[in-house]
Amino acid sequence: MTSLEELAEKDRLPREIVAMRVAKELPDGAYVNLGIGIPTLVSSFVPEGRTVYYHSESGILNCGPIAEEGEEDIDLINAGGQYLQSVGGMSFFDSAEAFAMIRGGHVDVTVLGSHQVSATGDLANWMLPQRGVGNVGGAMDLAAGAAGVIVAMEHTDRQGNPKIVEECTFPLTGKGCAYLIVTDLAVIECDGKGLTLLEVAPGWTPEEVQQLTGAKLTISPDVKEFEL
Amino acid sequence: MPGPHLDATRMVRRAAQELFPGAVVAIGTGLPCYLPGEFPPGAGAWFLADSGVLGYRGLETDGAAVDAGGNAVALRPGGAFTGVVDVAGILRGGHTDIAILQPSQVAANGDFVHWTTESTQGLFAPGSAVDMAYGASKVVAVMPHTYPQGRKNIVTSCNLPVDGVGRIDIIITDAAVIKVGPAGLELMEIAPGWTTDDIVAITDAPLTISSGVKEMTFNVPTLEPPNKVYATAFEALADVPEGSVINVDGFAGPGGMAHYLMVGLRDVGVKGLQLISNTAGIARMSAFGAPNIIDHSILVENNQVAKATASYPVSPSASRASAFEEAYNRGESKLEVVPQGTLAERLRCGGAGVAAFYTPTGAGTLLAEGKETRTIDGKEYILETGLRADFCIIRGHKADTLGNVVYKGTSRNFNPVMATTAKITVVEVDEIVEPGELGPEEIVTPGLFVDRIVLRPPDFSAYL
Repeated sequence: MTSLEELAEKDRLPREIVAMRVAKELPDGAYVNLGIGIPTLVSSFVPEGRTVYYHSESGILNCGPIAEEGEEDIDLINAGGQYLQSVGGMSFFDSAEAFAMIRGGHVDVTVLGSHQVSATGDLANWMLPQRGVGNVGGAMDLAAGAAGVIVAMEHTDRQGNPKIVEECTFPLTGKGCAYLIVTDLAVIECDGKGLTLLEVAPGWTPEEVQQLTGAKLTISPDVKEFEL
Repeated sequence: MPGPHLDATRMVRRAAQELFPGAVVAIGTGLPCYLPGEFPPGAGAWFLADSGVLGYRGLETDGAAVDAGGNAVALRPGGAFTGVVDVAGILRGGHTDIAILQPSQVAANGDFVHWTTESTQGLFAPGSAVDMAYGASKVVAVMPHTYPQGRKNIVTSCNLPVDGVGRIDIIITDAAVIKVGPAGLELMEIAPGWTTDDIVAITDAPLTISSGVKEMTFNVPTLEPPNKVYATAFEALADVPEGSVINVDGFAGPGGMAHYLMVGLRDVGVKGLQLISNTAGIARMSAFGAPNIIDHSILVENNQVAKATASYPVSPSASRASAFEEAYNRGESKLEVVPQGTLAERLRCGGAGVAAFYTPTGAGTLLAEGKETRTIDGKEYILETGLRADFCIIRGHKADTLGNVVYKGTSRNFNPVMATTAKITVVEVDEIVEPGELGPEEIVTPGLFVDRIVLRPPDFSAYL
């Protein structure tokens, strides 16, 4: 078995590759909401030939690309505070409608970052207990409402602790909402009962990924290297 | 022989005397449809038809607009179109001052039947009459006293299923005006040529004759539109009481935030405020803003904020705490964290008169603790209540002098829902225009939700 010290030194995938792997999951024509962090990067990597419509809880559908420097418009932002370009076919709406779209199941896929994900797909991404306060923003609505949540995050936290755990110890965002977890080490499917390891980062073995995972992984008989 | 029965015009002209400047008036089907046409185009009243038209004149062909009776109507300058859900919200949310209906029967206690007859019993025809009757502050019945075939329509108690219990305040017929009070019906006015005995004879319910009973008149009042434009933010907020609940619009950054009104509120200096807002002031700390931008922090630093209700209350980074987080940690301010979509829906419901709703958001989390839960079709939901406020400060792009507002881009965010929830809604805009200059389909917040309008001075800076 590789020691944890050795694992900590091993190369992991950059955020862009994680985003690229997530982008592959977005179906043509899907309405997609991207959270802050790695999820924001996903929009740059949608495979050619596919059209995806981005929804943002700031009240815009069909978000354009990020605005060029010097072209920022304070009345045209996404939920992460990035300024957007104006594009044909975009529409604006108020917050109640933005969340009716989410809660009503009209947004097909949400990609969120997370502090922890459990073996049953519970998500904890809004509050670190030691701070005493947290920003829930739209995360709970997205977790409860979107047809499916893909989690995109680092496999371990800054101290090297697993972020994929048997049960979340941080305050929950939603229960059983994640169906896929893409990290800088692995692609893991979540069926609500348990986790199946589908893909591993180049140079990593399923056993090594399991060592850095706080929940039991079933290793798929077809487990393979990250497929972009 | 009593005098002639009044025609429809005279009946609605008498009903028009119940209006006051700025009144929001819901117009039911039948006789009430004639009322808006009795007022000149610039009159200061908002006529509302459940077909989704706000601010219209009666019975004139315009092509696109119809009233609740399906009659073609023309918009007044500043009129707007809205959807049926918003119409229901305007009715249910207490934004309607007067509803004018034509019931088929009214009882001594104010119960009414809306158009159901013995022959149509079982096939109710309330339309929006129920929403109007329950939502409006005052309900006026305009109806024939005896019709058809001499049938007495003002009765001791309704003999048909009622559409509203005790909701009618005043009855205006083709022969009399009758007030509905706790002690029963009081005859206030009679039509020319009629005697009080004549009215008693055609009324099934017992009538008390008012000591001041007089003859009906038919002059239509002049309704001057109330002035909503205030010279400065300070003046528009000078009467905010201590401890007020205040909705503060904004998503997180400089867009859609009423910076000028915030400065006004700070200068008024009133304490103990409970803010309802998406953030509690993070624009100085986040990707949205800049270190010296005006946000809620100026109120926090002025010790004015006792509580914040927010979805994203604190800085994204714990190492760069916002003014609110510091005040919270010192125990000076309280905090209620609400998921963003729940916050928006709580505001929407508060403004639309819906007391509470079940949402899946937050089920099984810390934020569901202490809340009622219910499983519906196998899914867990939590009960959340509607939010109301004393004041609301919002940021529009343009407003007309009637208070109709349009927004720019994503700066719309919480503005339209917040505008519906407060007793006094104050809007800050870049430009104030005359009624008619904003397209009726373009108007997002109809002026009946807006009480005060302030122009953001062209030289105002959003930075400290």
